Amino acid sequence: MSEERPALRIQDLVVRYGRAAPVISGVSVELDPKEIVGLIGASAAGKSTLLRAIQRLVEPESGRIFLHGLELTRLPRAELRGARRRLGMIFQEHALIERLTVMENVLAGTLGRTGFWRSVRRRFEPEDVEEAFDLLKRVGLTGLEDSRCDELSGGQKQRVGIARALIQHPDVLLVDEPTASLDPATSVRIMDLITEICSERGLAAIINLHDVPLARRFCPRIIGLQDGEVVFDGPPSALDDAVLQRVYGDEAMSAQADATADGEIVGH
Amino acid sequence: MIESAAHRRVILGGLALYGLLVLVTVEIDPARIAEGLSRTGAFFVGWLRPDFVTRWTDIRAGLLESLAMTAVATAAALLLSVPLGLGAARNLVPGPVYTTARGVLAVARAFHEILVAILFVAMFGFGPFAGVVTLVVGSVGFLGKLLAEAVEEVDPAPLEALTAAGASWGSRVVFGVLPQVMPRVMGLVLYRLDINFRESAVIGLVGAGGIGATLTTAFSRYEFESVSAILTLIIGMVFGAEVIAGRLRQRLL
Repeated sequence: MSEERPALRIQDLVVRYGRAAPVISGVSVELDPKEIVGLIGASAAGKSTLLRAIQRLVEPESGRIFLHGLELTRLPRAELRGARRRLGMIFQEHALIERLTVMENVLAGTLGRTGFWRSVRRRFEPEDVEEAFDLLKRVGLTGLEDSRCDELSGGQKQRVGIARALIQHPDVLLVDEPTASLDPATSVRIMDLITEICSERGLAAIINLHDVPLARRFCPRIIGLQDGEVVFDGPPSALDDAVLQRVYGDEAMSAQADATADGEIVGH
Repeated sequence: MIESAAHRRVILGGLALYGLLVLVTVEIDPARIAEGLSRTGAFFVGWLRPDFVTRWTDIRAGLLESLAMTAVATAAALLLSVPLGLGAARNLVPGPVYTTARGVLAVARAFHEILVAILFVAMFGFGPFAGVVTLVVGSVGFLGKLLAEAVEEVDPAPLEALTAAGASWGSRVVFGVLPQVMPRVMGLVLYRLDINFRESAVIGLVGAGGIGATLTTAFSRYEFESVSAILTLIIGMVFGAEVIAGRLRQRLL
């Protein structure tokens, strides 16, 4: 596995749906290995689109994306599958297959390297199955391997989603609003888990968060996105009222209110 | 309303003549009406006295043939409708595949089973084979279209997650789509089994085998007691199928 720096490089990325105004207009970001970046911004700022464009779930209009020096934006379809395995994605609302078991959902993360017929017959590699058990233990779900996912709580589902992303053996984690549907205490525990795992495994991560206090607490570097452009890139300490105003515009007041409630920023 | 008395007379006379001609051409035969009424009586009397015994061998053979036709046709239709149904789901395949699959399904549903049965009886001759092919065509149209609709309604998030994990198209279908549509497919197949059994009684009337053939024979021999027995058995079996389907559904879902 190449350790070429940076882990992820995004250059002048532009993404547009149809003929509408671009959702991402000229974003450039570099991510060092092991670096955890919190991406904040209003709901339509393009945070999710940026993550989807890195995975090429959405095709960028222009710009280049490199993963450890490998240009993702140039890869033909056939090779893209292999590259996608190196980008682990954790989703808002977990995106699990509700009717399958916890184990099957985790093993779904190995589908990039498991052949079709093996997947039909659920004949996964023994070392993958063993790793799935280990990962479920790591995320705290031992004993729930055979439960159906629709029986789990929101926090447990998100833990399954984390295990599914990790079994891909990713170099970079792309995390989209991991706490969107969770209560505050569970949100903190999930963020704890994600950041701990990143440091254990030396993973770089981009974490979309609409919750500014959470981003401050867990991300040593924060990027503010507004209307598809980077308007802030720095440590949490540099994230003051003026910056929040710039990132959130009209939503600034409510973001402030959240922050004040957490006692981390003194309001106006 | 009509000013001229002459005009009125011509029109009234014309109407009277027309009425007379109608009566003459229709040939209303009091004797036939009387006969028909007595036959209606016989039918209702027969209906109240179902006779399972006299034609039992024929009835049993017809029922077994219908059941076999139903089972074979539904199984074959399921096998055919899975690829067609996936191909007709807009969220899974590119445009040309979608259009082709939708086209095939539309053709399969274009004609009523009776017309299809007449066509296949003309092609393959009398008997259950024409009936099975008829039921397959109808069932593929039904199952394929409804499967495609179920697939189009699946939650897209898990599919996106599988794509992001580098899963192939086939693995995405097996892991992301099938688990989501399985309960619906089970329900549709059980319902179609039921429909196919009833259809097998109808298409038998045009020579496509099954209990319908036995039924026509009994009718043309005026054996209303046997007809009544056959109809009672059809009702009983459809009802039984309903009970079994309900149990299966509870077990599987």
